Amino acid sequence: NSGTPGGDTATAAKEAPKAEPAKVYTLKVAETWPANFPIFGDAVNNMAAMAEKMSNGRLKFVIDTSNKHKSPFGVFDMVKSGQYDMGHSASYYWKGKVPNTLYFTTMPFGMIASEQYAWFYYGGGMELMQKVYEPLGLLSFPGGNTGNQMGGWFRKEIKSLDDLQGLKMRIPGFAGEVMSKLGVSVTNIPAGELYTALERGTIDALEWVGPSLDLRMGFHKIAPYYYTGWHEPATELQFLVNKKKWDSLPEDLREILRVAMRTAAYDMYSQSQYESAKNWSTIQVEYPDIKVKTFPKEVLEALYKANQELLEAKAKEDPLAAEILDSQKKFLWKARRWTEISDQAYLNSMPRG
Amino acid sequence: MIGIIMFAVALLMLLCGFPVAFVFGGVALIFGVFSQGFDLFAFMPFRIYSIMTNTILMAIPLFIFMGLVLQKTKMAEQLLESMGRLFGGVRGGLAISTILVGALLAASTGVVGASVVAMGLISLPVMLKFGYSKELATGTICAAGTLGQIIPPSIILIILGDVLGLPVGDLFKAAVWPGLILVGLYIAYILLISFLKPDLAPAIPADASESRSQTLMKAVKAILPPLALILVVLGSIFTGVATPTESSALGGVGALILAVAYRQFSWKMVQESARETVKITAMVFAILLGATAFSMAFTYTGGDALVEHWMLQLPGEKWGFLILSMIMILILGFFIDFVEIAFIIVPILAPIAEKLGIDMLWFAILIAMNLQTSFLTPPFGFSLFYLKGVAPPQVRTLDIYRGVMPFIALQVLVLAAILVIPGLFGLTSGQ
Amino acid sequence: MRILVVLDKLFERASALCGVLASAAFVLMLLNVFYDVIARYVFNSVSIGMQELEWHLFSAVFLLGIPYALRVDGHVRVDIFYDRWTDRGKAWINIFGALVFLLPFSALIYWYGTGFVHEAWVLNESSGDPGGLPYRFIVKALIPTSAVFTAISGLGMITQALRVLLLGEKYAHVNHQEGLA
Ligand code: NA
Ligand code: NA
Repeated sequence: NSGTPGGDTATAAKEAPKAEPAKVYTLKVAETWPANFPIFGDAVNNMAAMAEKMSNGRLKFVIDTSNKHKSPFGVFDMVKSGQYDMGHSASYYWKGKVPNTLYFTTMPFGMIASEQYAWFYYGGGMELMQKVYEPLGLLSFPGGNTGNQMGGWFRKEIKSLDDLQGLKMRIPGFAGEVMSKLGVSVTNIPAGELYTALERGTIDALEWVGPSLDLRMGFHKIAPYYYTGWHEPATELQFLVNKKKWDSLPEDLREILRVAMRTAAYDMYSQSQYESAKNWSTIQVEYPDIKVKTFPKEVLEALYKANQELLEAKAKEDPLAAEILDSQKKFLWKARRWTEISDQAYLNSMPRG
Repeated sequence: MIGIIMFAVALLMLLCGFPVAFVFGGVALIFGVFSQGFDLFAFMPFRIYSIMTNTILMAIPLFIFMGLVLQKTKMAEQLLESMGRLFGGVRGGLAISTILVGALLAASTGVVGASVVAMGLISLPVMLKFGYSKELATGTICAAGTLGQIIPPSIILIILGDVLGLPVGDLFKAAVWPGLILVGLYIAYILLISFLKPDLAPAIPADASESRSQTLMKAVKAILPPLALILVVLGSIFTGVATPTESSALGGVGALILAVAYRQFSWKMVQESARETVKITAMVFAILLGATAFSMAFTYTGGDALVEHWMLQLPGEKWGFLILSMIMILILGFFIDFVEIAFIIVPILAPIAEKLGIDMLWFAILIAMNLQTSFLTPPFGFSLFYLKGVAPPQVRTLDIYRGVMPFIALQVLVLAAILVIPGLFGLTSGQ
Repeated sequence: MRILVVLDKLFERASALCGVLASAAFVLMLLNVFYDVIARYVFNSVSIGMQELEWHLFSAVFLLGIPYALRVDGHVRVDIFYDRWTDRGKAWINIFGALVFLLPFSALIYWYGTGFVHEAWVLNESSGDPGGLPYRFIVKALIPTSAVFTAISGLGMITQALRVLLLGEKYAHVNHQEGLA
């Protein structure tokens, strides 16, 4: 259920006069990110601070980073089993465990952030997400958006489909599947060796996040072509909640938590926008040699087609997948028509100053 | 508080002589379960799985195998012996050769366990055979095997780059000089100590029956094949054929090919090498598993909060801050993992350093230099355990503890030098 | 007393089996990594499945290696005092350590490890990457398997110690090279 901010204030007011000391609920949160990770980690901290304050201290949070639990991709299992009450991660990481979790982060050629938030909260997205997660004893909520992610760093320019043949690229997950359909050799390289691998030409390209995080990896110095995005137009992180724990919370605290998660998520989108804009302006000044490129039309069309084929296959395999994809497709079609004559028209028509 | 008692108990139990890995695991279990209940151990499969999927660690068995093949086919022995002979009357030639080979390997891996064990297999038996003191031999190997941390590519530099927001390439470049100077100092120390105390590192006697040019020819023949192997390993990284981890597999296969070329190959040799590889790899990873259980119990019983609390007490004045933070890191490095220090301690220090106008690249190199020392410091330095694990029985734990002391002193010296005269290392201190 | 020796031999067999399997896994891993490098560089072909197989084999190397190394006394000890104990003293240390540290540790890893595998089994977890390997539960099952065999080697540590204590055998003999060890 999407839940509207505000909630059932009547019950909360009725309970207030009782002078018993309020019961404190402590939620243990595991995040996929390491300690002091910017933006992503901030979203969790913001959510916790808000919920603690709003609940007058009745909700408390213990937040463990991956440096403590040592298992960035074990968050799903650990929240499911109740070792942690909540997690902060990204739904598409669980694609190997539960295929239908893939659709709640972002999709290649899918919705942009404003459209996707509309889908989640008003277009039936939340209900479908819970339909995937509830049978697992979990609940999932949007956990913050990175905005449009960049298509990656390339050592050479991609001028045609032929340039993709045998191109060695580190691009994980579903986007990697799409790329491999076009003849790209999708590779796994551990994060610790990515820089060396790209520098020495062991791989030709890689995708990371965007200006907000890429700069600190230093890829711009060794792979000058920075391609605009196609595969992650609106990466939405997730708050995972153990359903038993959620059910054990009093109604008002659940509402507080829901509002805090929703606020923190949208706030992270704002912060990402801010950080990316800031970093990108620095990059342009400090590293004028970076060449921003967009894939040629031929390549994008082939990617689009490959993506469609893969999604069609997935829809055929599983009725729930078909239902989700259908909902996304229909909503995207509607929302995009509006985006085109509103934001897109505005951006296209605005004189550059 | 529990954290500190845990360390004390672990130390006591280690002294009893039960295998290190299971002392760590067992002490973690006792304290963890008493303080947090059995369910704390529900985290263990996740932690083990993280080690399983950490493919950079594959370099450990692959390097060990390469070292074993080189050892069993006597190629390593001939290499070091010939290099040592080339030094002629100069003492310490074997140890210097070990440092040089270690520096070469360091350029291909940053995994300390891999290089310490490989060097231990390759050069410890040779040094002992020629009458080197156990202390000098083991100290040299630990120091040489730890160079991988500072000589790029290096994992610690990559993590520091990530945490401090510095481009990895800049860090790699900045680390080259300090690394080379450290190598130079190790060599100078070995020359000096073997000159002052000749019986620590005897010169390899020249073969009276052969002329100088015959010695040279023999040396070239012995040095070339293994050197070619090392160059293949390094070359495959530099040309992008392989990642650093993968290059160690090229080294393993290459060693087998050399063995065939030198008619030393047999299936029995392969089988034995594989089995010993398994045994040594298991020794290293059991320690990693025990240590991850230990650090789990340490952090979940509040140890991480305690450490953070200490770090926040540091003074807010440039030199006081720098010196004390370096001492703190050095001490913490005795007990906790460098990855922890990089992710948890460094972000506490970084904003303070930034406010004080400290150059971050310089700060990063100081920390990296400091952290590599943590692998060598008794009683918990991992390099020491790893080397003990592959050393012949006559080499005692205490020999290794004593042996690394001068090398630790040299590292602290370099650290101090970078602190005081950064210009010498091509660094600037900031404002 | 005979039963003690028979039991001890049985435990030894189990750890020897681990050693054989781990060695085989190592050789396969070496070839696997080598093949992947050559395939990528020479033929420009990359298989994520083959790349994943690398760490599956690597996991088998060290997880099955641990019980094997235990039997052949390959796990490093701090020998500052240990070398000076008599064989009887060593035997008592080993019995104590096996009972207090090793067996409970293995038991907990086994217990929580099976839960971990069960999750992967129920969800039929597979790789999330294109061309990755299915059936993650298999490689995850190495964790409790390793715990079982480590416990067996721990029991072997006790039977060895009892042979020293009750039958007056020597560790040097019980531990000889790769044999009884
Ligand atoms: Na990305
Ligand atoms: Na290195």
